Amino acid sequence: MKPAMHKPLTLKKQRNWKRLTIHLFPIPALIIYGLFIVYPLFAALTYSFFDWKGIVRGEFVGLDNFKDLFTLQPFSDLFWNAFGHNILYFVLQMIFQNGLAFILAYIIYKKVRGSEFLKIAYFLPRLLSVIVVGFLWKLILNPNYGALNVILEKVGLEDLEKAWLGDPDTALISIILVNCWYGLGFGVLIFLAGFQSIPKELFEAGKLDGAAGFAMIRRIVLPLMVPSIMIMTVLTFIQSFEAFELVYAMQGSQGEPYHSTDTLAVYFYRLAFGGSAGGSTTAVGLGSALAVVLFIFISFFTALYLKYMQKKQVDL
Amino acid sequence: MKKMKAISFVAFLSLILVISACSSSDTGSDGGSEDGTTLTIGSWRTEDKASYEKVIEKFNEEYPDINVEFKPSKNTEYNTILNTALQSGEGPDIIHLRPYTPGIELADAGYLEPLDGLEGLDQYPEETLAASKGTDDKQYGVPLNISTTQMFYNKKIFEEVGLEEPKTWEEFMTLNKTLQDEGYTPISLGTKEGWLLSLAHGIIGPAHYGANEFVDNITAGETEFTSDEFKSSIEALDELKQFFPENYEGLGMEDIRTMFFTGDAAMFPLGSWEIEVLREMNPELELGFFPMPSAVGKEPTITTWVDGSYAINANSENKDAAKKFLQFMTTEEFGTMFTEEFKMISAIPGIESDDELVNSLGKAVEEQSTPYMMLVHFAGGNPSTKATIETELQGMYLGERSPEEVANAVQDSAKSWYEPLK
Repeated sequence: MKPAMHKPLTLKKQRNWKRLTIHLFPIPALIIYGLFIVYPLFAALTYSFFDWKGIVRGEFVGLDNFKDLFTLQPFSDLFWNAFGHNILYFVLQMIFQNGLAFILAYIIYKKVRGSEFLKIAYFLPRLLSVIVVGFLWKLILNPNYGALNVILEKVGLEDLEKAWLGDPDTALISIILVNCWYGLGFGVLIFLAGFQSIPKELFEAGKLDGAAGFAMIRRIVLPLMVPSIMIMTVLTFIQSFEAFELVYAMQGSQGEPYHSTDTLAVYFYRLAFGGSAGGSTTAVGLGSALAVVLFIFISFFTALYLKYMQKKQVDL
Repeated sequence: MKKMKAISFVAFLSLILVISACSSSDTGSDGGSEDGTTLTIGSWRTEDKASYEKVIEKFNEEYPDINVEFKPSKNTEYNTILNTALQSGEGPDIIHLRPYTPGIELADAGYLEPLDGLEGLDQYPEETLAASKGTDDKQYGVPLNISTTQMFYNKKIFEEVGLEEPKTWEEFMTLNKTLQDEGYTPISLGTKEGWLLSLAHGIIGPAHYGANEFVDNITAGETEFTSDEFKSSIEALDELKQFFPENYEGLGMEDIRTMFFTGDAAMFPLGSWEIEVLREMNPELELGFFPMPSAVGKEPTITTWVDGSYAINANSENKDAAKKFLQFMTTEEFGTMFTEEFKMISAIPGIESDDELVNSLGKAVEEQSTPYMMLVHFAGGNPSTKATIETELQGMYLGERSPEEVANAVQDSAKSWYEPLK
């Protein structure tokens, strides 16, 4: 009975082999991850410790780049200016994008007529490329032939007509609202999935206990929606502190007009790559320092927030 | 576990930003082909590929065994691609060099081969050569073309209203008022994009600060940007805003170009590269230009600079062949071909073009040129002085800055890095 003796052994060996080989499969992914994520991260970190003359690395200067970023004019003014814009970006997106998305998702969840259509309609802008979105809204917001001003004029609200993207008071807000329009459908989708995962019985139980209307939302819906709200907040936080594409598509890399649409990522781009036309000088060291600061800031606050919310979720 | 997942997901997302801090790519230069040498040319002019192929054909008539390949990359990415390649000791044999500061930076960093003794270099005027002269006073590039900025105008509108090219600043201002009274937008300029503003200052400024004399003085450190001459050039720009289109603060390049070629606006302060675009957009447009008349009793001026030069990679294995190609680029034969094919003004003096407008621009360049000061001398610093004047002028048009504050900011910026002003 030689084969019978032999068989269990091979099986075991095979299983061991399988167990080993299974660890080999992530290697290609790990190499890509290491090459394109871990390596650049550390490269940026080391770049930020050196003095740069154009593209040539100069001597080691320690934390001087970081010091310059926060103390030397005009860099520090530009930093705080852009930082403030990122905060406004986050706040307005939380209110107009996520707040509206939450309400819309609830309406769709309650199955109003045409909710299927609405779901698709809200998501549609998301299918467009950011560059296309930026281009379209640039046309709509054009002061002299753009649709918005034309409509305002037709309905007799000439006084509200503006050079939306040229006026420092409205330029950034316009861009953020376009971003909200663009991101609304994604929020609706996430929240809708959240609503749908709430067991129906809970609503019935709530009803029996006499909860209705706002109390139902406050006591049953909100606590159970914490995971969706959490993920949307984190994503919005990261997205608004990395805001770049739409600003770049609509206003270019100078944060125009007069730095009123500058965000940290646009400022970073300008420092590290020297503006749009390719003719101006670069500050690789300062740019890398800014990237490092931004990375630390985003990961720190995101981690903090997640920790806080997880505790909250348990409490509720 | 869930927490870990969430955190690592977040970390992943935030890391994405940092990737952009470092990108690598290479424009390789491979060795020779079987029957001779292969040269590669790097450039940002992807739109000129066909024209360059004709140039190469001509070159091959004389040097049939040198194989030349024109490999351009996208304008906005060219610097990054080239810089990364040069840093790793690679890159094309022949490099299309950005003018002034960025190009000179490459020469100073030792990435370029000095062109000592290249025949034909002595025909170029000193200011043309300055676009690619290293701080060691050696020549690193062969100048290719001259760009100009000037006031373009719509001849038909001028005829209709009965106007002529202005000879003095007062005439220019009256002309603006007349056009406005006739219902035209006199000057098609928007302030949404800052680069248009330093360009406009390049055209109108010299009429007030006194053109070349001021440039000589400031580059020698004998005057300052806070001087009355320079301040008056900023004030003039401020004064002209009454002749800009409605809502000018929200108008960008596309908008003002459209206003001009559709005949809504009569004048268009922009660069020579727009000639081809305008003609393509509206073949009926009767395009003219005039040199800016001086407000301080000097000659009218056309604002010029060298737009690009060609240099040799210090790491190239085919330097001799590359020199032959650069030599060819200094010949009259090449210059004539260049003006015809590219519709640009050759940097080689005395080349005629069969295009009337380009030809008269070329003539004006030889007789009345003043440098685009911000680009030629003040593109350095961080942020550059040129970028500073752009932002500050934008601030002025938005009512956040007075002309005096603009001048002060420009002086502060220049003082921070420009040796003669320190």
